Amino acid sequence: MEVIVKATGLKKYYGKGEALVKALDGVDLEIERGKFTAIVGTSGSGKSTLLNMLGGLDVPSEGSVQIGGQELSRLNSEQATIFRRKQIGFIFQNYNLIPVLTVWENIIFPITLDGRKPDEKFIMEIVQFLGLESRLDTLPNNLSGGQQQRVAIARALASKPSLILADEPTGNLDSRTSGDVVGSLKVTSAQFRQSIVMITHNPEIAAQADRIIRIEDGKIVTTFGKAGQ
Amino acid sequence: MLKNNNLKICRRLIMRDIKFHRVQYILLSVSVALVCMLYTISLCLGNLTYDGFMYSYKIMYGSESHILFYDLTSSQAAGIKNHRSVKNAVSLSAIGVLSDEMLGNRSVKLAVVSPGWAKETDAVPMQGRMPEKQNEIALDELTMNSLAIPREPGAEVSLRWTPADGGGERMDTFILCGFWENRMGLTETCAWVTEETAQAFCGGTPEKLALGVTLYRPAGLEKQGAEILSDLGIQDIPFTTSLAFNDARQEHAGITAMRFYRMNLIVMLCGILMLYHIVRLSAAQDVRFYGRIKSLGMTPRQLRVLWVERASLLSLFGVLPGWLSGFLLCAVLAPHVVVGMEENPALCFFRLSPFPVSGILTFLTTGIACSLPMRTVTGKTPVEAMKFVEKEGAGSRRGRRRRTSLFLMALSGLSRQRGRSLPGTLSLLLALCILCCIWMQGASYDQEKYLEGMALFDYLIADASAEASIQRYNPKSRSITEEIYEALASHPAVTGIGAVRTMEVPMYADEKGRAQILATFEEADENGTARKEYMADNPDWMAGYEKMRKDGEYIGIVAGVGGLTLEKAMARNIFIEGSFSAELFGTGKYVIAAGSSSPVLKTTPPAGSRVVIEGREFEIMASVPYEESMISGADSREAEFNVTYYMPEEVFEELFPDHGIRNVGINIDQNSQKEFEQFLDSQLQGTGASVVSVSDYQWVFRNSVFHNCMIPLFVGSVMLMIGILNFGNVLARGVLVRKKEFAVYESLGMTKRQIRRLLLLEGALYLGSMLLILIPATAVITWLWGRWWLANTNTWCVTWHYSLMPLWISIPILAALVLLVPLYFLNVVTRESVTERMRVI
Repeated sequence: MEVIVKATGLKKYYGKGEALVKALDGVDLEIERGKFTAIVGTSGSGKSTLLNMLGGLDVPSEGSVQIGGQELSRLNSEQATIFRRKQIGFIFQNYNLIPVLTVWENIIFPITLDGRKPDEKFIMEIVQFLGLESRLDTLPNNLSGGQQQRVAIARALASKPSLILADEPTGNLDSRTSGDVVGSLKVTSAQFRQSIVMITHNPEIAAQADRIIRIEDGKIVTTFGKAGQ
Repeated sequence: MLKNNNLKICRRLIMRDIKFHRVQYILLSVSVALVCMLYTISLCLGNLTYDGFMYSYKIMYGSESHILFYDLTSSQAAGIKNHRSVKNAVSLSAIGVLSDEMLGNRSVKLAVVSPGWAKETDAVPMQGRMPEKQNEIALDELTMNSLAIPREPGAEVSLRWTPADGGGERMDTFILCGFWENRMGLTETCAWVTEETAQAFCGGTPEKLALGVTLYRPAGLEKQGAEILSDLGIQDIPFTTSLAFNDARQEHAGITAMRFYRMNLIVMLCGILMLYHIVRLSAAQDVRFYGRIKSLGMTPRQLRVLWVERASLLSLFGVLPGWLSGFLLCAVLAPHVVVGMEENPALCFFRLSPFPVSGILTFLTTGIACSLPMRTVTGKTPVEAMKFVEKEGAGSRRGRRRRTSLFLMALSGLSRQRGRSLPGTLSLLLALCILCCIWMQGASYDQEKYLEGMALFDYLIADASAEASIQRYNPKSRSITEEIYEALASHPAVTGIGAVRTMEVPMYADEKGRAQILATFEEADENGTARKEYMADNPDWMAGYEKMRKDGEYIGIVAGVGGLTLEKAMARNIFIEGSFSAELFGTGKYVIAAGSSSPVLKTTPPAGSRVVIEGREFEIMASVPYEESMISGADSREAEFNVTYYMPEEVFEELFPDHGIRNVGINIDQNSQKEFEQFLDSQLQGTGASVVSVSDYQWVFRNSVFHNCMIPLFVGSVMLMIGILNFGNVLARGVLVRKKEFAVYESLGMTKRQIRRLLLLEGALYLGSMLLILIPATAVITWLWGRWWLANTNTWCVTWHYSLMPLWISIPILAALVLLVPLYFLNVVTRESVTERMRVI
């Protein structure tokens, strides 16, 4: 199988001496194209840090990350950003919506930044699926937490990235919508051969993943794969 | 693959940002306009000051031309005109010089009408016209005043003049056809006649010409003048160069203008501070916002464009009002600052160059101030930027078991803000120190002292021939008639009046008198220089002194004084020798001698000695310092070295019957000032007599104080404004960034009233802690500086006056902000429900 993400010896340390915090402490990981990977672990175990490293949002203290064979550390800041917005879709825990833009503008924002024309038909399908069609001209501050999360999901899917990194995307959704969202993520990922890496606390969602990675104290402690269970 | 960047999105984001943060952008735009206004003012004032100096130098030189060549033949003049360095030239054909001794040191050339020369030297008739017929003449007003020529076009004018071809002095009669006011040509000007007239007097066109030349490149005039002559092989031709293009004078004008240009550095610093404090209000939020859009794929280049577009738009909003308000303010300030122009110099010397420069500087200032969040984002990963939180103070440590009260919460809030409030406090301290020091300096300038020294009377009316200090008084002028004097004396508003009549009289100093005067001038002063050496550059004074030293002969200025003028002559009560007795003086047997204006030097024959005036013997009752503002105008060149003798006016009239009045001093009841001035105007209309009032001196005094204090006051005021704005910002910020915090308080049961009290307490504590630093520090610094300034200033009209007025004015403003700003912004943030605020992105 083709490997889309390859992390080698990833470390992320904060502070010095007694105050040293090892958020990630030597993580080696490979993620295959088109697979759904769930990352689980307790609060503060290093899940979000790992996700940020994989997406190039943060710089590791040691180690390297390759996405689709491209070593991220070899790109300068400008190139890394363009690479990220073309290849990776993020679903942030706190949504990261732009308060001055409407829901529609938020969804197409990464595509606009790239100077591309959005695939409106495809995006409208996502919007309808997520139940946002009546809120497209609304500003994020006027949405509920669940609606904001759905906008963040739509935005991540809109640019058809090859990798979707999701940090608790269903945290603010009811169980039915959560199930639907994960289901649709799986459908679209299968359609576009997208890979999904998702942090979740929900065992039911984790159970839908092709592979589950448990992380504790900045280290991968166990990996469960449907194929290799 | 990695080059695709959409920059249009940056504009859209900025426009949306403006829509969403209107208040902040309005505040920023007003500040940008203020910054632009300050740049425009300082640049315009710098330019105007420089141009004002250039203008005054041109006036002193008497011509707009760069070089004046003299004694040229017509072929030499043509050669110069056609020289490659010469842009244009105007010629003057003078047939002679007016030689009436009443013109004193002024040189008035009798010349053939030359419109070009007249324009260059501002000698174009404003009343009447240039001569067109034979024997017509056009003159300047100073010459007319000196020669007692009435301002009546068509009147016959007899003039004494000396032909340039070397013939003897002659007297001819002309018809006055026009005259002009002297703006230029105070010491040298022309009397215009037609070519026909010139030919009739000289029997042909004068051989010698003068040429006023304007060069393409007005620099290094001496060198260029010499080069022109050298190229033509006529090195012996005399020439003078314009003072306006003299290196030393240009340097002086440049240095004076530099005071204003230097102010731009302070404006930039203040502007950055001011905008920075406003931008800082939402800096953390902005950093997080930039982090968020960075995480979504905005590249560093797009971020830079976002920053530049933000600064550009803000500059665009602020520049136009800034230019306009800057220019208007400059138009108000310029007449107080610019030398040599009574009309509004902002309009006379208008130049466009300050405007684009101030626009560029405003953009740079705005760009630097707006770069704060951008600089914070640079070097941070998107994750770090999104998690960005401003560092706050540690807060006060309290015992675990202490109860929480509003006061303790406010104290904790104050402690959290101390890092942010320190720069604000320091900028306020700096501004208040500058303002208080300058305020104290301004208050210490003593107008009473100045007026005592400068203005002896409420009104000093001078004969037309004694208006300017360079004009020799002509006793025949009689523009102040006895009728006018009587009318003025009988006006009900007049509380005191006195006339001065003067006569130059050849006198003789006996051995004793001569010895006293010589001893003073031959003696070396504290610098080891004989006092007479200081007059070496005045040949007329030196000639008069030498004559007195050798033969004892000198010119005495006999002044008949009475009433108010006698009173003022003795008012200073400084007697170098002898003393004054009004009773004895009234007997007509005594005179008071006045030599130099020094209160200690003996420059007259000694008190008690006798002098003979017009065959009558007088005893010198006392010797006093010469009071310069007592007698208007100048005396003859022969009287440069003189001794003035005051005598009762009745005695003067006996000795010199039917003599004109040189000047009149008047004091009035100030309540009737307007009425009296109208009366004075009606009396003096058409006489040419000039009036200097005490209000003119007051204006000069206030203007000088304003001129001395304006720049530091201006800078201090701007800094104070910025300090106050910062203070308001800190208060506003204390509410705006705690939107969520207040929602939490409310959700936990705190009422809005309690939150209001908490904010007021925080504000009061903040103000109190600031005043604890500001009041003592400002008071001490101002006192120390004031003492130092007083000990080192060379101004004579100062009296120590300690004042902290700007501080006392600022405190209520700060207190009002403490009351109003937090409550206003609390009202703004609590418009949303508690849940909405807690959910805010």
